[in-house]
Amino acid sequence: MFVARSIAADHRDLIHDVSFDFHGRRMATCSSDQSVKVWDKSENGDWHCTASWKTHSGSVWRVTWAHPEFGQVLASCSFDRTAAVWEEIVGESNDKLRGQSHWVKRTTLVDSRTSVTDVKFAPKHIGLMLATCSADGVVRIYEAPDVMNLSQWSLQHEISCKLSCSCISWNPSSSRAHSPMIAVGSDDNSPNILAKVQIYEYSENTRKYAKAEALMTVTDPVHDIAFAPNLGRSFHILAVATKDVRIFTLKPLRKELTSSGGLTKFEIHIAAQFDNHNSQVWRVSWNITGTVLASSGDDGCVRLWKANYMDNWKCTGILKGNGSPVNGSSQQGIFNASLGSANTSLQNSLNGSSAGRYFFPPLDSPRAGSRWSSHAQLLPPPPLIEHSCDADTANLLYPHPRRRCVSRPLNLLPENEGV
Amino acid sequence: MEKMARVTTALGGNTITGRTMFCHLDAPANAISVCRDAAQVVVAGRNIFKIYSIEEDQFVEKLNLRVGRKPSLNFSCADVVWHQMDENLLATAATNGVVVTWNLGKPSRNKQDQLFTEHKRTVNKVCFHPTEVYMLLSGSQDGYMKCFDLRKKDSVSTFSGQSESVRDVQFSIRDYFTFAATFENGNVQLWDIRRPDRYERMFTAHNGPVFCCDWHPEDRGWLATGGRDKMVKVWDMNTTRAKEIYCVQTIASVARVKWRPECKHHIATCSMMVDHNIYVWDVRRPFIPSAMFEEHKDVTTGIVWRHLHDPYFLLSGSKDSTLYQHIFKDASQPIDRANPEGLCYSLYGDLAFAAKESLISSDSNRKPYIGDRRHPIFFKRKLDPTEQFEYISSSSALSVFETDVESGSMDWFVHTAKQYALAGRPLAELCDHNAKVAKGLDRNQVAQTWTMLRIIYSSLGTVSSANLNHSIGKGSTTLPLMNSFNLKDIPSGLGSESRLDRSKGESRTENILMDSSSTLINNEDNEETEGSDVPADYLLGDVEGDEDDLYMMDHENPHAEEQEYSLPQEAFPLRHEIVDNPSALDHLQDKADSPHVSGNEAETVSLTPVESFSLISISHSLYENRLPSDFFNPIVRDTLLFYAEQGDVQTAVSVLIVLGDRIRKEIDEQTQEHWYTSYIDLLQRFQLWNISNEVIKLSTCRAINCLNQASTTLHINCSNCKRPMSNRGWICDRCRQCASMCAVCHHVVKGLFVWCQGCSHGGHLQHIMKWLETSSHCPAGCGHLCEYT
Repeated sequence: MFVARSIAADHRDLIHDVSFDFHGRRMATCSSDQSVKVWDKSENGDWHCTASWKTHSGSVWRVTWAHPEFGQVLASCSFDRTAAVWEEIVGESNDKLRGQSHWVKRTTLVDSRTSVTDVKFAPKHIGLMLATCSADGVVRIYEAPDVMNLSQWSLQHEISCKLSCSCISWNPSSSRAHSPMIAVGSDDNSPNILAKVQIYEYSENTRKYAKAEALMTVTDPVHDIAFAPNLGRSFHILAVATKDVRIFTLKPLRKELTSSGGLTKFEIHIAAQFDNHNSQVWRVSWNITGTVLASSGDDGCVRLWKANYMDNWKCTGILKGNGSPVNGSSQQGIFNASLGSANTSLQNSLNGSSAGRYFFPPLDSPRAGSRWSSHAQLLPPPPLIEHSCDADTANLLYPHPRRRCVSRPLNLLPENEGV
Repeated sequence: MEKMARVTTALGGNTITGRTMFCHLDAPANAISVCRDAAQVVVAGRNIFKIYSIEEDQFVEKLNLRVGRKPSLNFSCADVVWHQMDENLLATAATNGVVVTWNLGKPSRNKQDQLFTEHKRTVNKVCFHPTEVYMLLSGSQDGYMKCFDLRKKDSVSTFSGQSESVRDVQFSIRDYFTFAATFENGNVQLWDIRRPDRYERMFTAHNGPVFCCDWHPEDRGWLATGGRDKMVKVWDMNTTRAKEIYCVQTIASVARVKWRPECKHHIATCSMMVDHNIYVWDVRRPFIPSAMFEEHKDVTTGIVWRHLHDPYFLLSGSKDSTLYQHIFKDASQPIDRANPEGLCYSLYGDLAFAAKESLISSDSNRKPYIGDRRHPIFFKRKLDPTEQFEYISSSSALSVFETDVESGSMDWFVHTAKQYALAGRPLAELCDHNAKVAKGLDRNQVAQTWTMLRIIYSSLGTVSSANLNHSIGKGSTTLPLMNSFNLKDIPSGLGSESRLDRSKGESRTENILMDSSSTLINNEDNEETEGSDVPADYLLGDVEGDEDDLYMMDHENPHAEEQEYSLPQEAFPLRHEIVDNPSALDHLQDKADSPHVSGNEAETVSLTPVESFSLISISHSLYENRLPSDFFNPIVRDTLLFYAEQGDVQTAVSVLIVLGDRIRKEIDEQTQEHWYTSYIDLLQRFQLWNISNEVIKLSTCRAINCLNQASTTLHINCSNCKRPMSNRGWICDRCRQCASMCAVCHHVVKGLFVWCQGCSHGGHLQHIMKWLETSSHCPAGCGHLCEYT
């Protein structure tokens, strides 16, 4: 069950990005109003703004946290063609400001000649590295050689993607078998048929990033891209937000013994494709285990996607985002509660039926069903939700991606899908 | 250029048509100005002074005003302006301080009309009076502004700003006598043309030079100024004090501002350096330009709207020696490319979602899905009111969707991590414990996996040790041994398996197995009911072989895999077994002291004859004979891989640790390391430091093991003499006393030592915590106010 907690963000323009830190206790938002705000979760679960400051002289597109091992560090990127690295300063003066923390700019990365559209810290095991991409199609990778000195970043790599870049994602895998990899999405909307998702891999031999793959099937502007957290998987999962939600799996093929280039070849498979948002999809985000994908689109909804044990992805929940802000700083209400069971059954199917592949496949679903019903009674009386727990898996196989998975709206939304 | 659209605008009488187009100039432009009828444009620069006519598809050079052999500095223009009432009249500001007027009506080739050489330095700006034909105003680097009457040879009046260089002068459109001047020191002055002695009003508009200003064309008394501080400010001059009503933050210093005709709140800007683009802003939405023209390759120096009443055509000249006509249809709109939503999954399964309010609040006026969002909203005669409204109210709603505590999607992970036992007990006990933990969290499959593992790896060992006990005549140890494994909690696995065994063939080992486990069944008969059918189902159902294709795969696997492990076993049976199980031995030795070591040996001894190549390869006899646990290794390995692929690396790593060397060889080192790092990373995310440390310690990968062996240095002071302790022990060099005495109980602390960084006193963690709950002073009595947080 989800409880919507509306937060008065008080940004003076659109919020473009929200980002949780490593431990899930802090949140950063960035907005076109050129500011970044940091929110800390209090004991009772309220989010308090502990810092708000002007970061750029243009819209701030993205904000992202570094691994806490490097300190409380944020990176932001902006329309003003720069990316910046910020560090929180803990000192005596903080007390005077009553719980407000102080962030100082450690560096400004000014190499781009156009709007910097995304910024991402590399997975920790690679080191303190930062990747940016810009509207002129250049991906830049910076490294701070000394992790104690956040003001020194050297430009290590410049990758020209030929297409205006909108988003990047590092492959989070910590396996030695997977060399550092970056996926780049392009929102270029000229009617060419170039692949809008490119994947670059670091080659130990050449010490350069080289294009390993291009997802030729993605030809529409891509707004967001995200590798799933790789918890010991041998393959990679990539979510792409374009005019629909797509999930790709990339299985590294066994490296040939030839030393030429040393680039990994991938077996790319499209695991799912959903146009349920019925509009542009703006964001995709994975849960921590890489098993649930959340996507948001122009329809103002967040949809959750989950694979069953047969690797069929389906919609497990829809969250309506119309928690129109109520007066007061953070008001809590269950006006948007949703998917009571979806969540538990997610977990169930993850830890339950997954094992069933080997041991007892047929026995799981009745159990989950019965548990679901007991949970369903706990739902608030008028839930503005659509429910899909019992959606027939048979109909959700990949060949029917256009079929809407949601089968049981408990209470119809004013807007409905056929329209 | 093909994609560029052709646009026609009817302007009561004369029409403007055109498309985005450009022409190359011979030299960089410094300024441009357009003729009243919007048909011609003049471009001026250090080395250029030309008039182009604006045709439908191209610019055509009409006239070159730089005539004569001798290059004259008078032609080197910093600014140019075309009179808005007399289409033959032009004025230029020269870099040598000369103001030149040009009369296009002159019959000669040289159109130069008048020359005013009054300024001492570069003239930055010239400006005609909007309604008065003969009045010209100039502003210069020398700090003076001069007003000329074109019918006279000299200036009519001189205005001294009493401050630095004048960057811009503009006649007010509303007040006949008023003009505004901007200065390099950040000031803006308003002058009355009749009073050259003193400015009417002055205010500081910017931090740093004010490069430009523009009066609002719709007679509102609004003045826009742009400065080096990257800001465009809109001032309301109607009140007695100039009031800043809008402020637009751009990304580079602002060189030119021009209000957009017919659009009250729109203003075009270009920059002096770095940024080559031209932006059109809605001042009510000051953070993001509503349109952007990106054609120029170098700094844009002049922008002008083509016609006084047409908002769709913009002309610009640039240092890159081009002259452009931009039309709004082809502008890029950063707003449309901007992401209106933010979404992030938190560690605990909460979702933060920020979305444009219009997207989530009113579904009724939602626009239908269109493939391309870049529809030409600017190409409308009048901006429709809803759209304008949207500009103002563009804000986002932020909310966090929290998973509630009971179904919190990651709670299971934390609980499991905390409760799992990974070492320090016999394998069977670990498996049972972990199965119970998993069951307690409603993770039945994982629980079953643990139970199966227990059966596969542990029951065999138990049995064979019993076997040994029988054979060497120590029968009495059997039962206590069983009890120590806490068999009450094994629901069914053993029972069902033994039932299976009972139903199938017999061998010497199986008999003994049956013996020992049937005593168990007698004890546990009542507890065996629930769920016992599950594994039995699996094992028995397999005999048919058709039901489960996965099972079929398992059938085939042994054929493929058996070579790998059974052949070496044939060759060196004893050594292999001993090498394979050292950690199992350790575990057993940890707890109990008696016959387990020999038990394992007995296991190998008793099993070697049974386990032969031929037996294993006959699939039908698979379950008729007791199989070595190695036999299941491929299946267990596949199970672990499966869990890992499903994102449940916790189970994979836990099983890996518990089984230790039994399974370790089956999985390649790199994968194991990957699992460990992933799991440790997860644990650290959840701030489960102790567990992550335990995992690191228990891991068998060298790369993981050394993770927590990185050096850590603590600098401490002696609690007696307050001097830094230099050597490695706990004895202070100077006072020869032990520094690690507990200040509460006065014993030497072994283990966790907590101390105050202020006074260096400390002691047992528990003691200090307890002490500081009641007192705020240091327990050592030094008077320091210690704090434990």
